[in-house]
Amino acid sequence: MLKIEDLHVEVDHKEILHGLDLEVTEGEVHAVMGPNGSGKSTLAYALAGRDGYAVTGGRILYQGRDLVAMAPEERAREGVFLAFQYPVEIPGVVNANFLKSAVNAVRRHRGKTELDAMEFLKLARQKLKLLNMDEALLSRPINVGFSGGEKKRNEIFQMWMLDPRLAVLDETDSGLDIDALKIVAEGVNALRGPTRTILLITHYQRLLDYVVPDKIHVLAGGRIIKSGGKELALELEAKGYADVVKAAAA
Amino acid sequence: MNVETAAGVTDFRPFARPERLGKSPAWLDGVRETAIERFREHGFPSSKIESWKFTNLSPLARTTFRDASAIKGPELTRADLEPYRLTPDCHLIVFVNGQFRPDLSALDHVPDGTRIVDFTAAEEEDLRALTAPPAVPVDPRARSLFDLNTACMSGGAVVHLGRGAILDPVQLLFVVRPDAEPTAFHLRNLIRAEAGSSATVLESYVGLGDGIYWTNVVTQIAVAPNAVLRHYKLQAEGNSAFHVAGTSVRLDHQAAYRMFAASLGSELSRNEVDVDLAATDTVARLAGTTLARGAQHLDTTIRIEHSKPRGTSSQESKAVVDGRAHAVFQGRIRVAPDAQKTDAQQISRSLLLSSTAAADTKPELEILADDVKCSHGATIGDLDEEALFYLRARGVGEAEARKMLIDAFIGELIEHITVDTARAYFRRAFDRWLAYGAQP
Repeated sequence: MLKIEDLHVEVDHKEILHGLDLEVTEGEVHAVMGPNGSGKSTLAYALAGRDGYAVTGGRILYQGRDLVAMAPEERAREGVFLAFQYPVEIPGVVNANFLKSAVNAVRRHRGKTELDAMEFLKLARQKLKLLNMDEALLSRPINVGFSGGEKKRNEIFQMWMLDPRLAVLDETDSGLDIDALKIVAEGVNALRGPTRTILLITHYQRLLDYVVPDKIHVLAGGRIIKSGGKELALELEAKGYADVVKAAAA
Repeated sequence: MNVETAAGVTDFRPFARPERLGKSPAWLDGVRETAIERFREHGFPSSKIESWKFTNLSPLARTTFRDASAIKGPELTRADLEPYRLTPDCHLIVFVNGQFRPDLSALDHVPDGTRIVDFTAAEEEDLRALTAPPAVPVDPRARSLFDLNTACMSGGAVVHLGRGAILDPVQLLFVVRPDAEPTAFHLRNLIRAEAGSSATVLESYVGLGDGIYWTNVVTQIAVAPNAVLRHYKLQAEGNSAFHVAGTSVRLDHQAAYRMFAASLGSELSRNEVDVDLAATDTVARLAGTTLARGAQHLDTTIRIEHSKPRGTSSQESKAVVDGRAHAVFQGRIRVAPDAQKTDAQQISRSLLLSSTAAADTKPELEILADDVKCSHGATIGDLDEEALFYLRARGVGEAEARKMLIDAFIGELIEHITVDTARAYFRRAFDRWLAYGAQP
């Protein structure tokens, strides 16, 4: 469902991804692991279509279509969801209003009827309850005054509401204590299913203790240098990135 | 009247006929003559004058305007005015093309002790107050349009609240339906709040059509001891209009004045507000927002004069500027030597939506007392790209995401409007502006 071929991405005229190849089968959970500076966030932003992340070569095929040609909102409506590493605080924009617009934009695109205020609220409350989150969140401005853990949980909540086909989680585990990590992991696991594809981008393997991936890819120097099963995480944990990178280069 | 060049008036005939000036006492003729003499001497304010350096009036000075009395009032019904009403049942005084329209006004239920009348019914004491000098003295060359207004004023509203009177919201609605030839409307309003009174007054300036006209309005306000005035102003003039306004406020002991002004109409506007905290323990809170697009030039100039001790003032300005538009905010705070324990704050924020939009902001503080708290701040920035991407990455379209962020920027100011109906009124005006912006 996602096929990345020889992807080159520049940021500020500097190439960060140097020919990345990655293929993810529908319904699977893949993890992309890599050291700092390997291009993990660049990959995430390139998938979501952020301005300034220029694709200079290669292609990204999403459900057989060229993802790069789509605007960020179009990708979202087609089912791509990026959980941000650093969710943005937006004073003055209330969560409920924003999320209702987003949910309805996605629903319109999929030919579904829009939710009215009551239907939206009902759905949001139901999801919040499952995530053990306070519904007061709905009337607060987006992420303003949220703790790191709350922001990440808000990302998971939005993901649930938007019902994506491809969820890309960019270091969603970073900065979380073990309890918050478990909640986020449960939130991700609950979404696993045959029509949902999940790409976990992470530095550490600890999230993978809770969300067990089907495949793991090692990203270093702007390329996938090694792919394997879930046991690869343990190898990385035991040896560290440096050894794995060296071995792959050899 | 025929105003041909910025150098001054080449041919001035006082067109305001005496019978239109209330009881038109002889002294008033003298005041008018003196005023026009001063205007002849100074002409239109030039951008060489410090307080006019950001706003060039030559497009206005180049235009030849007819007198308001030269055009017929258009046929308008109450239904035509409905979209511009504060509420369907508030007290309402309507002027169409500068002329009082009792048929469109709603003044039947004004309580005892309060008068809301048009200018021609003004009492002698009203006329004295109407023609008082501005509350804050400035270089007379910077104020020549006030003089022109004094000489030519031919209409306006008088709102007089008696001692202890409490008045439900009253709306002063000035509607212009321009026609082919440029026309000038010199309006003068008076709001007098006697001791212990409390009122909410909304001034609305609405243009119905694209013709060239000029609203030159002066509003004189006096707030007596322990009185409270909540003053709102919507400037939604027509696209080709000029709007020049001078609001002059005097606060007596323990008087409180709150103002919210929104400027979103006209091609060129200058909204001046002068407040003299002329007695002890007064409060003046001014907030305003400017929404400019196309080639609009919208200027807000505020002068706060702390004359006496223990005055509190605040100014909060937010501008959203798109297209090739230009927003100007100038805020002066002057604290007299006697005005100890003054607390004066000023903040100005501008949001530029295009690379050709411009904002100028100029704070000016002159503090002659030593025991005061004064602060000012200014920011000019773009829409937050990160926030924009975040919203879009969740499926919200770009235009709608921009709208959300603009709305967030100005929404906070609207939330601070204390009168519910006024808050809803400005909300509607901003929503109309935002909706227009989303169109291709």
